[in-house]
Amino acid sequence: MSGVISVVKRHGDFQYSVDSTNIQNDEDEDISMSDVDIADRKLSKDNDNESGLQIVTPGELVTDDPIWMRGHGTYFLDNMTYSSVAGAVSRVNRLLSVIPLKSRYSPETGDHIVGRVAEVGNKRWRVDIGGKQHAILMLGSVNLPGGILRRKSESDELQMRSFLKEGDLLNAEVQSLFQDGSASLHTRSLKYGKLRNGMFCQVPSSLIVRSKNHTHNLPGNITVVLGVNGFIWLRKTSQMDLVRDAPPGGSTGATSSQRSTAGPTGAVSLNPSITRLEEESSWQIYSDENDPTISSNIRKTICRYANVIKALAFCEIGITQERVISAYEASMAYPNVGSLIERETMESIGHDVLNVEKMRGNAN
Amino acid sequence: MSRLEIYSPEGLRLDGRRWNELRRFESSINTHPHASDGSSYLEQGNNKIITLVKGPKEPTSRSQVDTNKALLRISVNITQFSKFERSKSSHRNERRVLEMQTALVRTFEKNVMLNLYPRTLIDIEIHVLQQDGGIMGSLLNGITLALIDAGIAMYDYISGISVGLYDTTPLLDVNSLEETAMSSVTLGVVGKSEKLSLLLVEDKIPLDRMETVLAIGIAGAHRIRDLMDEELRSHAEKRVANASSR
Amino acid sequence: MAKEIEISNSESKFLLEALRQNYRLDGRSFSQFRDVKIAFGDEYGDVTIEMGKTKVHCRISCQITQPYEDRPFEGLFLISTENSPMAGPQFENGNNTNEDEVLIARIIEKAVRRSGALDIEGLCIVAGSKCWAVRADVHFLNCDGGFIDASCIAVMAGLLHFRKPDITVHGEQVIMHPVDEREPVPLGILHVPICVTFSFFNPMDTEENIKGDTNAEITIIDATLKEELLRDGVLTVTLNKNREVVQVSKAGGLPMDALSLMECCRKAYAITEEITDKITYVLKKDEKRRNKFADLLTSENARETS
Repeated sequence: MSGVISVVKRHGDFQYSVDSTNIQNDEDEDISMSDVDIADRKLSKDNDNESGLQIVTPGELVTDDPIWMRGHGTYFLDNMTYSSVAGAVSRVNRLLSVIPLKSRYSPETGDHIVGRVAEVGNKRWRVDIGGKQHAILMLGSVNLPGGILRRKSESDELQMRSFLKEGDLLNAEVQSLFQDGSASLHTRSLKYGKLRNGMFCQVPSSLIVRSKNHTHNLPGNITVVLGVNGFIWLRKTSQMDLVRDAPPGGSTGATSSQRSTAGPTGAVSLNPSITRLEEESSWQIYSDENDPTISSNIRKTICRYANVIKALAFCEIGITQERVISAYEASMAYPNVGSLIERETMESIGHDVLNVEKMRGNAN
Repeated sequence: MSRLEIYSPEGLRLDGRRWNELRRFESSINTHPHASDGSSYLEQGNNKIITLVKGPKEPTSRSQVDTNKALLRISVNITQFSKFERSKSSHRNERRVLEMQTALVRTFEKNVMLNLYPRTLIDIEIHVLQQDGGIMGSLLNGITLALIDAGIAMYDYISGISVGLYDTTPLLDVNSLEETAMSSVTLGVVGKSEKLSLLLVEDKIPLDRMETVLAIGIAGAHRIRDLMDEELRSHAEKRVANASSR
Repeated sequence: MAKEIEISNSESKFLLEALRQNYRLDGRSFSQFRDVKIAFGDEYGDVTIEMGKTKVHCRISCQITQPYEDRPFEGLFLISTENSPMAGPQFENGNNTNEDEVLIARIIEKAVRRSGALDIEGLCIVAGSKCWAVRADVHFLNCDGGFIDASCIAVMAGLLHFRKPDITVHGEQVIMHPVDEREPVPLGILHVPICVTFSFFNPMDTEENIKGDTNAEITIIDATLKEELLRDGVLTVTLNKNREVVQVSKAGGLPMDALSLMECCRKAYAITEEITDKITYVLKKDEKRRNKFADLLTSENARETS
């Protein structure tokens, strides 16, 4: 914006005669407020945007057609629907909503998230999940040491801090949502619980693609938990992780069906080896001690993964297991882990990932 | 100050603008993605302002919880080096700054859909790196951009501008030399309407001149809205293009 | 606020519904200012203003001090508006950083001090070393809305009423004559700014206010405390009799159409004229009352005035 910005009179209730000596640029012509003009301008914007997405900004008229139901990101007066955020218009069936380009994570039931305990309260933990409000984890929705069928007693209430205390990281699933949009969590499965042996890193939540599985074993003996809320945990692969990924004797189809049944009810439906493992480890699931056997090589690999995830986030590329692996492979060209977060490097890694993807797409 | 020729007979102002010309207006959003949920950097003439929006987030203390709507908090930090001469005080608790903060909160309280974010806190932090007149208008613009960047729902843009009155000629978007030499009006206009959310006059202006001053001010504010809109759209298109290449 | 005054839902609904039907709780019309009662004390510069139940007291005082180094030809003028819990439980003692209190203080400051209502150059005695420092202390005695308007009237009436002791200057020597020795002299008042506060209510949805063209917002003048607590927006206009806008403050709140704001300014002008005349009238009356005693002391022959 380098040219002269001069303002010219408008049509409106206020009229002000312009000095005739003033030079008027054509592009600075009258600013009018009639709806026709707004619609015209919007049409031209639509045409500009080849991807076919309609981008709107707050206060803009989205449609004057009354058949649309108004969803998030809109408000209306009579038949007119206006946008309240800057983003892309989404029309699903007859629901019209505007999805903001960027906003805080808003939890949905079933999301696999990573959180940090912010507060220990009465029979509940309040967990920071990077959303608008803290989520709640009830004492009744966690697995306690000593078997899943154990009853919760008063002594459990008193020693809540020995399970999870302020600052602890955990992964959990969103069990339900409250009226005001805050989430209630549960960790009643072996995939969930306290996190250790690794490193935390955060990306914008919009970059995490919701999928069936958010825990992945990566090459280099590393496991990643991609929380839907953009919190990511990288850790050394544990026995449990290996067992979970290994096919349990049967076909892969069986795995998925079993996994889907392993919901909030816990590990009952899992195969015997896990059950046994669980019993062995149940007293350790709330341990604060890291494995003593983490080698410096593993630590370096974890850092490398963290940095390639940062690079992906920098390039605003959606983060999936395949992309993390392909970015990791691309990063091998740089022996120094620390150099990965230099601007050019991040850009070239992002580029490589997209290229690899394109080639694969062509090959298929 | 009065010896300077504020408005020459040829119709030029101190910095070479005509009466109806805005200053250079450059803005960018998402400038501090790690430190905040929404951010903007605004240069309006020599005003340089960073705005950070944090939230909606969990309130830091229980007393801030409102079960019906979000709490909006704005703090303005006018840096000591923002003017030609370094100021001795930090401006933190000056009445002038407190008044600005209150005015800003009350302006945006009516424009942001706070009822959508119950039990949360929206924290807005403004750093004025450099000031050169019409600071209040620039603050409004900076906050509008940052709030939109944060994806917080609001009814419409609020664009701010100051108009001075030199004798009988209104001068659009005054700088600090003009501001000290004559009386000026600050407007906060809602979107493309003629509704004023904010209107501040601090010095004497003839009642009969008010209307012309407001008229040019509203036109100028609409122009600023368009400039902000342009920036937002180009940013949005970039992001959408990025997303479609995923 | 320390203790936020809460209005019950039913009461607030009742008040808003009444406004929608063009009624106010105290029976005034929308653009009717409350009757202003101005009472002067025995001493000069001692004023009490009553507007309905709102009661504001203002005391003007002066003393001789040294002027600021960078402004050797100007006297000092200070307005102090401190709220105390006396006015109402919502005010906290000694804590004047509350939003409303800051706004009140700032608006009075802008309306009276910054607009140059008092001729501060006339307060200079010896350039650079001696000048008058005039102080206006505003005390809020009871709160029923309209603090800004009332205190502005109080300060202006006080300044107009005030007399500072006469002085004689011999070089650097300054002799201050006691009031009973020599007739004290009035201050130089350049113009009389009057604040008028408008309150806005939105009878419909926010959407209608932002996007609609109806402009159906309700505007009332000189709100009482209850109306102040429920209002959506506020505008304070300060004008003087010379048709000059001294100060306008609409610090956010309900967005209002520019034309209706202009309309408010015009209405405010009519009220300004009215109040200025009232102040002049009351001042004259007070003058007469004082002169009754002065007549006895004067050596001039009393003339019959009809």
